[in-house]
Amino acid sequence: MRRASIVFAITFFGLLFASVAINHTQSVSLWPLARSYVELVPRELGAPNVITGILLNYRAFDTLGEVAVLFMVAAGVGLVLGRQPNPTVADPPETARPSSEIVQIATRILAPLISVFAAYIIMNGHISAGGGFQGGAVLASCLILWLLADAQFQVDVKLLGLLESVAGVLFVLVGIAGLIFAGGFLDTRVLPLGQLGAFFSAGAIPILSLLLGIKVGCELSVILARFRA
Amino acid sequence: MAELVGSILILIGAFFHFSAGLGMVRMPDAYTRMQAGTKASTLGNTLVLTGLAFYHPGWTLKLVLIIYFVLMTNPVSSHALARAAHFIGIPMAGNSGIDALRDAQQTKRSDP
Repeated sequence: MRRASIVFAITFFGLLFASVAINHTQSVSLWPLARSYVELVPRELGAPNVITGILLNYRAFDTLGEVAVLFMVAAGVGLVLGRQPNPTVADPPETARPSSEIVQIATRILAPLISVFAAYIIMNGHISAGGGFQGGAVLASCLILWLLADAQFQVDVKLLGLLESVAGVLFVLVGIAGLIFAGGFLDTRVLPLGQLGAFFSAGAIPILSLLLGIKVGCELSVILARFRA
Repeated sequence: MAELVGSILILIGAFFHFSAGLGMVRMPDAYTRMQAGTKASTLGNTLVLTGLAFYHPGWTLKLVLIIYFVLMTNPVSSHALARAAHFIGIPMAGNSGIDALRDAQQTKRSDP
């Protein structure tokens, strides 16, 4: 019975993937909407990465809403788990089993590497694949590693909350600057567009990306720290 | 020529990935499954990425970084998982014979 179900699952997925592979055809032209975005973003916003251009300019309000949703999640988790830790239920950190030496040393080597990678993703969002959301998530994964490696590691939730609020306020302020100096709320053309593909280019998109990265990283870190406590 | 070498490397890597998947199905207990999944997929990843470097010589540095990252993370995470599984008492397959971690803890406990 078990064997039969395994064989069935393998054939099912095999057929599924085979049909995907067989039916795949390279699309030769873009849809009209996609074509207009592909032409507009490098010309109007100066960002080679079309997706970041869309997310942080045309749909920046939507991005702001997504970050607000994440903030609500963090607030909700804080409301449920943020009470004083219950000593009878939660393991006090002193008696928790320490992680092995291998994990601790690997963490010391990997944490800077992961942080640099996160910074790279955040700051290259307008040039190559990446952006604030992804970079912030990578940053939070670095914190998970620290929490796993060091049971005594204390996260300063208040500082993270402050950083997150400052980043959020600055994000909205950049948006208001767009309202005053450019075409509308969260218009990124308040700064010069610069040369296409350069590090300092694409108007305010790198700034928004950085603020987004800080905000998402702090929010996810707060959520993780709450679950640990 | 370079593309042929790259293709062969990717093919060998795919074979190791396949053996990792086979090990996950066929191995008798959690530890050996973890071992099969980690060892074979680490080597498979390395080979596939090396083969990719033959196709796109411009990507070599980035691929070396990814290989380094996989070599660092994959064994360590598997080690942490296996250790945690051992501590919460997940049984080994009957014919394993040796349990070095338990023996090490017993000697540590008996001589203070």
